[in-house]
Amino acid sequence: MIGHRVQHFGLRAFGWALLAVVLVIALFPPYFMTITAFHPPSLSFSRTPTLFSTDLTLRAFTDLFDKYPYLTWMSNTTLVSVSSTIFSVSVATLAAYSLSRLRYPGRSTLSSAVFFVYLFPSTLLFIPIFIVLNQLHMLDWLPALVAVYLTFSVPFNIWLLKAYFLTIPRELEDAAMVDGATRWQSLMLVVMPLAAPGVAVACIYSFTLAWNEYLYAFTLLSDQTKFTLATGLTKLIFGDVFLWGMIMAGGVLMSAPLLVLYFVAQRWIVAGLSAGAVKG
Amino acid sequence: MALRVGAGFKRHSLAPAWRARQTLARDQAIFGYALLLPSAVLIVVLVGVPFLRALWLSFHRKLLGSEDAPWIGLQNYAALLGDATFWQAVKNTFVFTTGSIGIKLALGLAIALILNEALPLRGLWRSIVMLPYAMPTLVSVLVWKWMYNDVAGVLNYLATSAKLSDHPILWLGDPNVAMPAVIAVNVWRGFPFFVITILAGLQTVPQELYDAAKVDGAGVWPRFSQVTLPGILPVAAVTTLFSAILTFNDFSIIWILTQGGPGNATNVLATLTYRISIPGLELGKGVAVSVLMLPILVGLIVLLNRFISRREEMA
Repeated sequence: MIGHRVQHFGLRAFGWALLAVVLVIALFPPYFMTITAFHPPSLSFSRTPTLFSTDLTLRAFTDLFDKYPYLTWMSNTTLVSVSSTIFSVSVATLAAYSLSRLRYPGRSTLSSAVFFVYLFPSTLLFIPIFIVLNQLHMLDWLPALVAVYLTFSVPFNIWLLKAYFLTIPRELEDAAMVDGATRWQSLMLVVMPLAAPGVAVACIYSFTLAWNEYLYAFTLLSDQTKFTLATGLTKLIFGDVFLWGMIMAGGVLMSAPLLVLYFVAQRWIVAGLSAGAVKG
Repeated sequence: MALRVGAGFKRHSLAPAWRARQTLARDQAIFGYALLLPSAVLIVVLVGVPFLRALWLSFHRKLLGSEDAPWIGLQNYAALLGDATFWQAVKNTFVFTTGSIGIKLALGLAIALILNEALPLRGLWRSIVMLPYAMPTLVSVLVWKWMYNDVAGVLNYLATSAKLSDHPILWLGDPNVAMPAVIAVNVWRGFPFFVITILAGLQTVPQELYDAAKVDGAGVWPRFSQVTLPGILPVAAVTTLFSAILTFNDFSIIWILTQGGPGNATNVLATLTYRISIPGLELGKGVAVSVLMLPILVGLIVLLNRFISRREEMA
């Protein structure tokens, strides 16, 4: 695990300097967001931005809750993200198992098709989806948004989980079947427990994708009480006044669940990323 | 749901072995298709049908809010191909994608090489590098929009106090600066993906190869170009293609930062589709923009798919 050491001194110094610069650039925007969020909101109109301050307050947060249905947006987003995750991971697990383990005609073509669908652009699909939901009077209806989110999360999960199933030794399953287990039993009792880390990564990613999604939510929702966080927060910048304190406060709250999730599950996520399977 | 694989043996216990095997294969196929069915139905209904509908729309004059959509053949496409805005968007998409990808790859490679060294507190540095990737994209874009603010933005404050510029820079308002500014946000958010995948690739390069190169007296550069680089090339290629596809399609970063402006300075194909179809009301023509993106996209996906299946075969 421990890398070899480059002995060249100049190169090492250059590496350190570059790393230091990149770390500062990586840290600065989240730091600045947090500082702005915990400031008296009036400071964000000043010509000299506040880079450091001990004058901390929750005013931006209380303003945000008073003036906008932020908590409704948060619960809408949670609802949509959790439902689309549960639904797509369950459906995709079955499909991924099938594509990675069972032999039948057309399997590899279907595998490639899934991959294709995953990378299919939402900019091509949002217009027909908008037209259909409009005709069915289902714009502003959150269950419809959940269904739309399955367009990317089902193929994505199939693809991620398929790679994961391939790492589980086939022999374990064969052994269970020799002992009289059916395929369904061996899937549920032998394969699934071993696939748990992969399923966890799939859940984290589908949750993140839904939590972040902008284009569909932006085009399909127009009623402010049905907004997700992505659409609600963005509406604030397209308003007449820029409410940066409130926007940053909303950003802190929107980031918190994902940051917690990432740092708790970092090891798994890195493994999932390394499988080369994830959005960049 | 439980398909008894063993059952085939009992029924055909007296039949020749090949018949048992055939039943087994058939049971497996039925089970396989059954497990695929729910996903397949969802994908056909939610992606397949809208896709065909999109193709159909692109041959019609369909306006937002109007019921009738007369067939106009290739007119939407002809109109786009004769429109300078479309070609500007093609060029912008190319600049945005290649610019972002090039910088992400170079930066990702450099940081991965550094983090692969035996550094003190390496885990901490790695977590910090992950931070931009862990933040919701949308929040990052909003923070950058705030930092880019002309009047009260922190970047202008830093630039003027460091005497880098004597006047406030219109980061998102100056046509010459806006494109680099949106690329910077894409790079900020996306480079950790390159770091992490390349780092994982570096750890699969066998230590013996380095030792052997050292014994042969190879210096830093030959060791890098003949051991490290070939070792991480496959993973770097897959990451690059992946990121290229997603950057090519990216809508939210540009839309939130500039809406494709000023003028058309950052208008890419994704934002052009939206501009034509929703504010511009021409749904059919808007879809046609996306359809024209498909050949390049499909090419990239086929290439990526080939890379990945080759890697899976080797594994």
